[in-house]
Amino acid sequence: MCLNVGMDEHPVRLAVDDDLQRNRWTVFFRLILAIPLFIWLFLWSIAVVFAAIANWIATLVRGTPPGGLHRFMCSYVRFTVHFDAYLWLIGNPYPGFMGEEGEYPIDVTFPQPTAQRRWSVFFRLFLALPALLVASALGGSSGGSLSFVGGRRRYGGGAGGGGGALGFVVAILGWFASLARGRMPKGLRDAGAYGIGYSAQAAAYLLLVTDRYPNADPTAMLDGVDRPPEHPVRLVGDPHDLRRSRVTVFLRLLIAIPHIIWLALWGIAVIFAIIANWFVILFRGTPARPLHRFVAAYLRQRLHVVSFLTLTANPFPGFVGEYGRYPLDLELPGPAPQNRWETFFRIFLAIPALLVSGALGGALFWCAVWTWFYALARGSAPWGLRNLAAYALRYDAQTVSYLLLLTDTYPHASPLEGAPTPQHEFAEALAA
Amino acid sequence: MIRRLPVVAALAAAWTAGAWFLWQSKVPSSLRLPHVDPHRFFTAAQLHAASSYSNVDEWLWAGGVVVQIVILALYAWRGERFARESAAGPIGTGMLLGMVGFALVWAAQVPFSVLGLWWERRNHLTSEGYFSTVFGGWLGLGGEFVFLCASLAVIMGFAQLVGERWWLPAAPVFVGLALLFAFIAPWLVPTNPLHDARLRAAAVRFERAEGVAPTPVVVAPVHRTTTLPNAEAAGIGPSRRVILFDTIVDGRFTERELEVVLAHELGHLARHHIWKDVGWYALFAFPGAWAIARATRRRGGMGRPAAVPLALLVLVVLNPPRAPAAERDQPAHGSGGGLDGAPHDPRPGRRDRALPPLRADDARGAATLDVRLPRAREPSHARAAHRDGGGVELLRHVGGPVAVERRVQAAA
Repeated sequence: MCLNVGMDEHPVRLAVDDDLQRNRWTVFFRLILAIPLFIWLFLWSIAVVFAAIANWIATLVRGTPPGGLHRFMCSYVRFTVHFDAYLWLIGNPYPGFMGEEGEYPIDVTFPQPTAQRRWSVFFRLFLALPALLVASALGGSSGGSLSFVGGRRRYGGGAGGGGGALGFVVAILGWFASLARGRMPKGLRDAGAYGIGYSAQAAAYLLLVTDRYPNADPTAMLDGVDRPPEHPVRLVGDPHDLRRSRVTVFLRLLIAIPHIIWLALWGIAVIFAIIANWFVILFRGTPARPLHRFVAAYLRQRLHVVSFLTLTANPFPGFVGEYGRYPLDLELPGPAPQNRWETFFRIFLAIPALLVSGALGGALFWCAVWTWFYALARGSAPWGLRNLAAYALRYDAQTVSYLLLLTDTYPHASPLEGAPTPQHEFAEALAA
Repeated sequence: MIRRLPVVAALAAAWTAGAWFLWQSKVPSSLRLPHVDPHRFFTAAQLHAASSYSNVDEWLWAGGVVVQIVILALYAWRGERFARESAAGPIGTGMLLGMVGFALVWAAQVPFSVLGLWWERRNHLTSEGYFSTVFGGWLGLGGEFVFLCASLAVIMGFAQLVGERWWLPAAPVFVGLALLFAFIAPWLVPTNPLHDARLRAAAVRFERAEGVAPTPVVVAPVHRTTTLPNAEAAGIGPSRRVILFDTIVDGRFTERELEVVLAHELGHLARHHIWKDVGWYALFAFPGAWAIARATRRRGGMGRPAAVPLALLVLVVLNPPRAPAAERDQPAHGSGGGLDGAPHDPRPGRRDRALPPLRADDARGAATLDVRLPRAREPSHARAAHRDGGGVELLRHVGGPVAVERRVQAAA
């Protein structure tokens, strides 16, 4: 559901050349090892405050950023990318201090300085605010440190690094996984890389490296990264339906209230159905078909309502969770045998996925907020935010399906859609 | 048509009998209402200011009603196009159209609400802010949407099941819902126990005098949203109680005044006014639903979403917002249905109009004299009776509270 519609490539491009291997020792001591990088980032951020002001004035006067300042900003943003990647376990090697291109497996490329519209330069801090808020949910110390530069520290992680909710969750979960397996899970790596990439684009926009607004589309961001295997729970529908009715957009929250109440009532019945199904699976090894169908309809209805509420889809949904009636729908597996042990401990096993889902929920919130304004003005949803929202909804649906015993396939955190045939690298990873 | 005549006649007779039954009330023979001449208490300028206040209030009301009907007429004409924004079935689409219609009406009313608030603030009747009026109303709209959706689900569900005669099963359902809300209404308001022992004792005394079952008297904490004092009797059967606003027991009123208020509210319960309110609602629910069914036939009936915008228009035309003067004169909540000519109001347990404190020396306050004067000094029903041209008529139907109040006054 996150397809590239042939948009121009964003001039700030993320490059991921990581083999997922991690050294357990450096993973264990990662936070301590990063202390010099913290200090360096802090000092560099102070210098960037002054450089950014100078760059802003120069760009307003000349219409184009001066070459020296442009390079300085690029190096700074690149360094934050390397730093974040290291801190969050998205990359393995220790990064350099100068933010040089091509030296780190998670890297970013920038455009040459080009002419920028002066009014856009003048209002850049305000124009960047929505992107910085999304970046603060996804993570990236570049976004955070630059929020500090803008005097709005509350929007980000601050100059000390750290990043947003998604980055933090990825780092915590990745730390345990890497210590246990010596490898970073691909889903977490992709999610973290995506957050870093978006934050870099937001920072580049704010620091006048480019005047192209950040593109939140995960497929475009992770272009060239292997897709994960196809998950049995996936979104289907027409992603190109970006039209939004202004009247229903304006009233979206109110119009959704009956649905929210209905969903809450349905949810009460679902709790009993899940408990019953849990016992059935423990005894039979397979869910009871009627219970499975009942819960699946609830989950589909939930997706329809949340899609409507967050403006990821346009029309008013029905009330029965019927498949094929809504432009953004959910494909769910039928009742299939499930591992009894995994079923028994399902609620505990779901905790990491719930953490990731919660972090993505923050991004989804900001997507909804900005899409609301955008749709009111333009009568359509922005492609990038729509696809980021679809990613968050897809992961949420996979998590809830797992929790509600519809499948025992663990959610995959990669922002990329699953491929029917797993690609080479990931197939090897699975085998390992 | 001729074949249907006996049925129509029988229904009309049943309706009339029901109305007659509800209209009945006892008036104490000893009731003598005092004549109050406002000119004795207020200057001509103050009375003129009060009149001006009412005029603007009524103009705003009239403007609001006209705009509301125009918006709904336009919506009935073109609102069907919003159906394409729905992926739901007919009932869900009908709900969407209903909500959009309500929202458009709300949006059109915002300027009038703001103007009305400005006028009230200018006359020191409220301290409510503009932001909370606009956005509080916006949130309140969400609650209305829920009830609207439930109503449309019932109507459209029956319309799909039984066709044009949906109103026959739907009206009893709405009456049942009205009864349910009358029952649960007291529990929807957060309340605290009444700490005033003398007032509690007075309540027990009045209960015995009127043969009312023991009724809890509670206090609703509303002082953060209004300074206006008020009280209401709410609930039926085990849920009934008297609710005093904390703004009425904050020391501004004497014990005797509060006893009159208490007696007034217990009078509502003694005379089963809330039951009567539901009864009036039932009497008007059937013909109202029938009228909507008839009006929407050309749009395919209420089973089709396209009929919903027209149904909203019919609903508002049949049940327009009440004029400020009528609302001010509305004597009581529970009994309001039978008293002010608007028995179709589906809100059992409506509150009495506020009782703002009388400040005769306050020239600005005099601008609202017609609201304040009678309320501060007279039982509200008696006021309604002698201010209104048909005072005696009205009085006949409000014997309950008045009778109790008279006894209290006599005892005092």
